[in-house]
Order: sequence, then C-alpha cells, then structure tokens
Amino acid sequence: MIYNWKKIVRNGLPILTFAVLIEIFAGSILQNNQEIIVLLPIFLISIPVINSVGGNIGSVLGARLASGLHVGYITAKANDKKMHENLLTAIIIGVFTYTLLAIIIYYGALFANLNKGIELKEFVGIFVSTGFLLICLVAISSVLAAFISFKKGLDPDDMVAPVVTTVGDVLGITFLFLMISVFGVGI
Amino acid sequence: MFAKEMAKQSLPLLLLCGLGAIVTGCILSLMNTPNLDDNLFLKIPGLIIVIPAIIAMRGNISTAFGSRLGSAYHLGVIDADNLWNKELIQNILGSFVLSLLMSIFIGILAYITSFILGVFPNPFLIISIVLIAGVISGIILSFMTIGVIYLVFKRGYDPDNITGPALATFGDIITISCILGSIFLLEGLI
Repeated sequence: MIYNWKKIVRNGLPILTFAVLIEIFAGSILQNNQEIIVLLPIFLISIPVINSVGGNIGSVLGARLASGLHVGYITAKANDKKMHENLLTAIIIGVFTYTLLAIIIYYGALFANLNKGIELKEFVGIFVSTGFLLICLVAISSVLAAFISFKKGLDPDDMVAPVVTTVGDVLGITFLFLMISVFGVGI
Repeated sequence: MFAKEMAKQSLPLLLLCGLGAIVTGCILSLMNTPNLDDNLFLKIPGLIIVIPAIIAMRGNISTAFGSRLGSAYHLGVIDADNLWNKELIQNILGSFVLSLLMSIFIGILAYITSFILGVFPNPFLIISIVLIAGVISGIILSFMTIGVIYLVFKRGYDPDNITGPALATFGDIITISCILGSIFLLEGLI
C-alpha cells in the first residue's frame, strides 16, 4: 500500500494551516467592509470571480514556469526572456477575461435587481482595475514562488498553487475595496 | 506563437471557471439580501469571516486529493476497473480527517478574530456552521472526485489536466451551498 491516511494528514496540515490563517485575514477585511457589501451587493458576487480568475492564472503560470525550470528552457533569473513572455501573456489574458466577466456580471445582476447604486462603466472600471492589479501581483508571486522553491530544491509543482491562490485571495479582496474607494462609489 | 498557444488552451477553461465563480457569488448574495432583517451576514456576526477560509480549505483538500488520485493512476495503483480499493479508502479517510481538524480550527480562529474586530459571535453557532458545512461538503466532494476520476479514466484522458480546475470550481459552489444548508439546519439557534 502506498497511501496511508495518517501520512496524508501529516503532509497536508502545514500548508492548510498557513492557508487558513491567511484566509481568516481575508475574512477580516470583508468583515471590516461589511457596510459596502450590504450597500452594493454586486461586489459580493464579484469576489469569488476575481479570486478564481486570479488564482487560476497564477496556477497556470506557475505550472508553466515549473515545467520550464524542470526541462531547462527557463532559468531562475530576473531577466529571463521566456519568463517575461509568460508574464506578459498572463496579464493580457487576465485583463481580457476580467472585462468579459465584468460585463456578464453587471447584466446578470440587472435581472436580480442587485446593481443599484452603480453604473456599468464604474463597475467595469473597478472590476478590471482590481483584476489588473491582482494579476500583476499574482504573476510576480507565482514567479517568486516557482524560482525560490526551485532554487531550494523543492518541487515548484507542489508549492506554487497553494501559495498563489492564498496570496491572491487576500490581495483580490484588498484591491477591490481599494478600487471602490478610489472610484468613490457607495459613499 | 507561444502566447497564442497559452491563450488557446487556457482561455476557455478560465472563462468556464469564471462562470462557475459567478454561481458561487450568486449563492453568497442569497445570504446578503437587501432586506436587512433577513441578511444572514448581519444576523450571524462572524459568518463573513469564515467564508474565504472554508472555501480555501475545501479547494486545497480536494485538489490535493484529485492530484494524488492522478498520480496513483499514473503509478498503476488504481484504474477504472480497480477503483474501489484500499489505496482509495486511505485517501478518502485522510481527506476526511483533514476536513474535520481544519473545520474546528477555522471555527475557533474565526471566533477569536471576531472578538479582536469587535463583533461578538455565538461560539457554538459559528463553530457548528463551519464543522457541519466542512464535513458535509468534504463527503460530497470525495464522492464527486471519485466520479470525475472514474469518467476521466473511462475516457482515457490525463486526470492531471482536468481534475484540478473542475474540482476547484464545483467545490466552491458545493461548499457555499453547504454553508447555506447548515445555517438553515441550525436556524433555531440564531
């Protein structure tokens, strides 16, 4: 038998504890901004979407970098050209996806009457600028997590996804409320 | 060249996961009704704090489960005709114990954090909601993982490419539904 439940629990606990501690922090940011969420319910629908796209792009990027490092066509250096190409593509794909989903959410919310207090251009502006900031930061943390774990002799395939999705959740929620106040909505 | 290939292969899945996340968001907004007397986040202090943690826990445990089953398949330990064996049972048990431990941890942590933020939840209620939602979503997702893996094996796909995003997206929807369900179950205590 190669699997043993005790070993699965032992291996899972450290990364899960790390993830839960950071996510409780993300939850505290939500708690502190509860008024905005109640006032503008459309943003609560947006949070899982912002985080899911950010986490997915970060994980895809991380997996690609990990394969590149394993095979050797990417080197763990700040000026690696292939790495830059991957980063730029991730950002372009991200902005495109966020714009499309923002429009879908806005018109979907129209039916449920959840879009009160905000116009389409404001919502798309907040959503896409949040997404852009998130993708940039998630892409950088994905590169760092891949390069650092590779240099330390750990397998980037195991490390990047949990780190990137967790960091992405906190940053996504932080940037969303930051952008809501920059755009001056709901005050 | 390179960019085109990345866009072509990951964009459809990305959009699909985005649409799944909209469903999660809609279930969340069922709890966040504009009618303030029915708004569950106002009625249950501390509830909003546990949402990101419980979703992340579920996602981490079930994608790891899926990726272990993917490796087990590549190692030849399980396949479509020999799915329900000792290796699988150890995997299910491991995921279940992790869900149980982490749910209790999230509940206690949320209770402490709420105090620091100046909201005062009912400790029994908040821990029960997380525990019931965590355990039930864990059981549902274990069976769903096995179902997804079985279909993937039968069709001869590589499980590594499919299980991760599929489980993450369905996992979020199921976890949020389980939170909503456990609140209704415990409604008498609110």
